[in-house]
Amino acid sequence: MNIKHLITATALLAGGITGGVALAQSAPLELVGPVAEYKIYVSENVDQLAKETARFVAAVKAGDIARAKALYAPTRVYYERVEPIAELFSDLDAAIDSRADDYEGAEKDPEFPGFHRIEYSLWEKNTTNDVKPVADKLLAHVKELQSRIGKLTFPPEVVVGGAAVLMEEVAATKISGEENRYSKVDLWDFKANTDGSYKIVELVRPLIAKKEARFLAEVDKNFKTVYDILKTYETNEGKGYVSYEKLTDKDRTTMAAAINKLAEDLSTLRGKLGLK
Amino acid sequence: MMKKQEAPAPRDVTERDGASLPNTPNTPASRRMALKMGIAALGSVWMGGYARAASRSDGETSAANVTNAPVTNAATPGDRVPFFGKHQAGITMPRPANGMIASFSVLAETPEALERLFRRLTERAIFLTHGGAPPEYDPRLPPADSGILGPNIPPDARTITVSLGNSLFEERPWLKPHKPLRLSRMTRFPNDALDAALCHGDLSLQICANTQDSTQHALRDILKNLADQLVLRWMQEGNVPVIQPGPDKAAESARNLLGFRDGSANPDAGDEALMNRLVWVGPERGEPAWALGGSYQAVRIIRNFVERWDRAPLWEQEAFIGRAKVTGAPLDKPRATEADVPDYVNDPQGEKTPLASHIRLANDRTPETQDNIILRRPFNYFNGVAKNGQLDQGLLFICYQADLEKGFITVQRRLDGEPLEEYLKPVGGGYFFTLPGVAHKNDFFGSALIAAIRA
Repeated sequence: MNIKHLITATALLAGGITGGVALAQSAPLELVGPVAEYKIYVSENVDQLAKETARFVAAVKAGDIARAKALYAPTRVYYERVEPIAELFSDLDAAIDSRADDYEGAEKDPEFPGFHRIEYSLWEKNTTNDVKPVADKLLAHVKELQSRIGKLTFPPEVVVGGAAVLMEEVAATKISGEENRYSKVDLWDFKANTDGSYKIVELVRPLIAKKEARFLAEVDKNFKTVYDILKTYETNEGKGYVSYEKLTDKDRTTMAAAINKLAEDLSTLRGKLGLK
Repeated sequence: MMKKQEAPAPRDVTERDGASLPNTPNTPASRRMALKMGIAALGSVWMGGYARAASRSDGETSAANVTNAPVTNAATPGDRVPFFGKHQAGITMPRPANGMIASFSVLAETPEALERLFRRLTERAIFLTHGGAPPEYDPRLPPADSGILGPNIPPDARTITVSLGNSLFEERPWLKPHKPLRLSRMTRFPNDALDAALCHGDLSLQICANTQDSTQHALRDILKNLADQLVLRWMQEGNVPVIQPGPDKAAESARNLLGFRDGSANPDAGDEALMNRLVWVGPERGEPAWALGGSYQAVRIIRNFVERWDRAPLWEQEAFIGRAKVTGAPLDKPRATEADVPDYVNDPQGEKTPLASHIRLANDRTPETQDNIILRRPFNYFNGVAKNGQLDQGLLFICYQADLEKGFITVQRRLDGEPLEEYLKPVGGGYFFTLPGVAHKNDFFGSALIAAIRA
């Protein structure tokens, strides 16, 4: 063990978090406000998701390929922002957002459902003819999600942990461009995941602002790195993003490093708030 | 916070590279330092598992071929390789059973950021080389360590060798003037089928250890601790077969996946003068002063078409390589050993050792080509099955030389078009400059380069 490292590690975890010294006493009371506010954020996004999915599904069923393509990415944004909560219902998450890799038969697997199955037909086959029943099911599942989230008591550790979950999501599937491999709209998802993570940090910020100033400064710096780069790929007056293929290697690397560091740092957020 | 668990018992005492610097871990002062750092059982530095490496101060000489195979039951988790020295570890010492090359993109865009990266890497490398207990955090936080080696990290003969790629220099105007003279971006040779996702990089780490768990543990530690400074681009790991010593206990070169002994003619890494001539960058080469004591690292991921090779007649295999398969003896001396030198002077037409055989092309044993000799330190790799259903395995070729052009590039050009190519396909790799060693505990990787940038 290197002494310098040890000191750094201890200093970083201000307040003596190491070695059995207690973290902040568990603070569910303090978290009541942020969690309630987060529930509103999630509900608003899921309501919007239901509304936009209905429009998207209508376009698919009408065979309006151009319109369906145009609605695809903006609809998904509402899902991607609240993924930590949406993922709590794993059956619905699979039905709405699973990818071809999740199935042995890949794209041709009859079980492959949801947004990405429709994405595949739209971009790879330029048709909606084979996905109309898939679209009906998608809408039904989104409505089911809306209803379940309405009844859900939000566990504080899931809310706070969600900040890191979203960064893990970006690191695992967005950086590689695998999530929307047919439409190349990953920068939309990238932004939505980052927004969702940043929202959680904003909500708990007042609780740790004093004690974790250094930590928050580092987190803010990395969020800024990601946002600054995303900004340079905006199109349509900031209402959308260019194809993921336009992302340069250098920008991808810079964002990957910022995302990896955010995932590392935010993985301590629950602990810092005294949560398990 | 620190666990006081005893490291496994010592085995063999050696000194690396003849380094006689103050504060190497072999000195009482550094032992004290190490104890302060919470590392138990640091009486001296040990390295079991293979023939003694490099020159040493006790006057004992032993031929040290870095490609000698590790010997069964000789390696222990307590094996510790000295970290501090004029040169980095992991080059002139015999390979432990496992190794990897990991290639990264570097995020640093300023000299300050580069220095932070080098210092952090040095801290991690010291910890991982020496072993010890990572700090314990509150269980509500992620643990400091992956835990895959248990609560007390054994040194396990671990080495972490840091090298810099061409792009690191080329893409930074403040760094470019300091680029080593012969460092270049690897270019395609005629038989290559390079996969862009397996090539080049700003920085390479060669991580070696007795066990694969130890190399993987080190990689995960570095990824976690340098998350915003390094982004992993590609990684290839490999191993060296561990052998049962023969009745005469003579060291043997390990076999590659073609079934041949690989490294028989490697230069003697125990010969300091020879290493200074062939491997280490010295003052006579006109390189930037910061680069003295460093070396050039060439990495190649060379797939072997093993099914096809196994269907080639033995005589043809031996003719392509230029050695007897079982013994490694030169073809003109069938009853000799791999240590015997082929006589090409009396075989000018290649009747015994074909002119196009691998070993004869690579090293024709004439005075004119002696400056082209490289120090090879490869590992065999097994990557599962390729799309066509054939085995994806081969050689993680690593070599070191004082002059990349005279070394690997010249040798590979001589090999271009060799008959053996039918069975080989290089798919990745890169050229890197291996930094000089970290001299003492207040030094860090690349300190001379940082000083040169600031001068």
